[in-house]
Amino acid sequence: MGLPALAAEADGALIARYLAGDEQAAGELVRRHTAALARYMAAQGAPAEELEDLTQEAFFKAFRALASFRGGASFRTWLLAIGGNVLRDGRRRWRRRQVVELSPEIRDPSGDPAEHLDAGSTLQRLEEGIGKLARLQREVFMLRAQQGLEYSEISTALGISEGAARVHYHHAVKRLMAWIQ
Amino acid sequence: MDPMNAELPERLSAAVRALDARAAERSARVSPDRVASRVLERLRREGAGEPRIWWMHPTALRAAAAVVLLVAAGWTVSVVRQHSIQTAVRLPVSIPVDSLNAQQLEAVLQAAGEVRAANFEPVASSNESLDNLSEQQLQQVLASL
Repeated sequence: MGLPALAAEADGALIARYLAGDEQAAGELVRRHTAALARYMAAQGAPAEELEDLTQEAFFKAFRALASFRGGASFRTWLLAIGGNVLRDGRRRWRRRQVVELSPEIRDPSGDPAEHLDAGSTLQRLEEGIGKLARLQREVFMLRAQQGLEYSEISTALGISEGAARVHYHHAVKRLMAWIQ
Repeated sequence: MDPMNAELPERLSAAVRALDARAAERSARVSPDRVASRVLERLRREGAGEPRIWWMHPTALRAAAAVVLLVAAGWTVSVVRQHSIQTAVRLPVSIPVDSLNAQQLEAVLQAAGEVRAANFEPVASSNESLDNLSEQQLQQVLASL
């Protein structure tokens, strides 16, 4: 099957193809989800120079564990959870040399400089705060606030109850609000 | 991400949006094709299956869990049985009867509960008082408890 045809297939079909030995199906899954996974990891402070390696590592782990994927959550959510585990392993290594880069909207010289300074500082505080959250608080917060997932899907992906996911999210918001004030 | 951010305080919501925008900028440098080819190459090289130790296989784990449950159940039953036997046997049979008067003996017998008649030959009828029992009979009564 050619690449355009594979691109039209749902994740579940591609997973079945890969498990049946079709390597190209894995390639299509990687191409389809790389941007979201890399973005998720970057938002949690993964350094730019390691982002591609970390993304690759998460995909590799996911494909090796693919037989255990039960489909309770979407493939992407499951992949993001694996990405969270990869980040946890690398976090200690790169936390200390984390450099805060300003996004274009913050670098934009127009407008009130004090406001931009405040936004930059808030972003920096947020990133620090996210790094200080407990693992589940951080992952639930990012999956909810950045990825826009429902609690039910978050709970399935992380193997916790929906109630626990809500509690972790609530605590994360409270701690981050205190941190960026 | 906006719908979910509606539930966040404005300041935090704005900061998360800025964080996500920066993350998007960084992640744009990651090439999906390059990642795909590296992942496939690694899967070919290191194997696609997760290395699994035989005892981590679900069937082996289920069998081990069943054995543990059986052993635990057997142990519980034996402990309960042993406990009930010991409860029946462990009664105060070495009370120095000589030093007790009739009232004290009655108190001891009352505290010990009902005497099981099956274990000894009746030495006194129900209307007889403990005062009428000989020391030997009293010993018998106590030994039977």
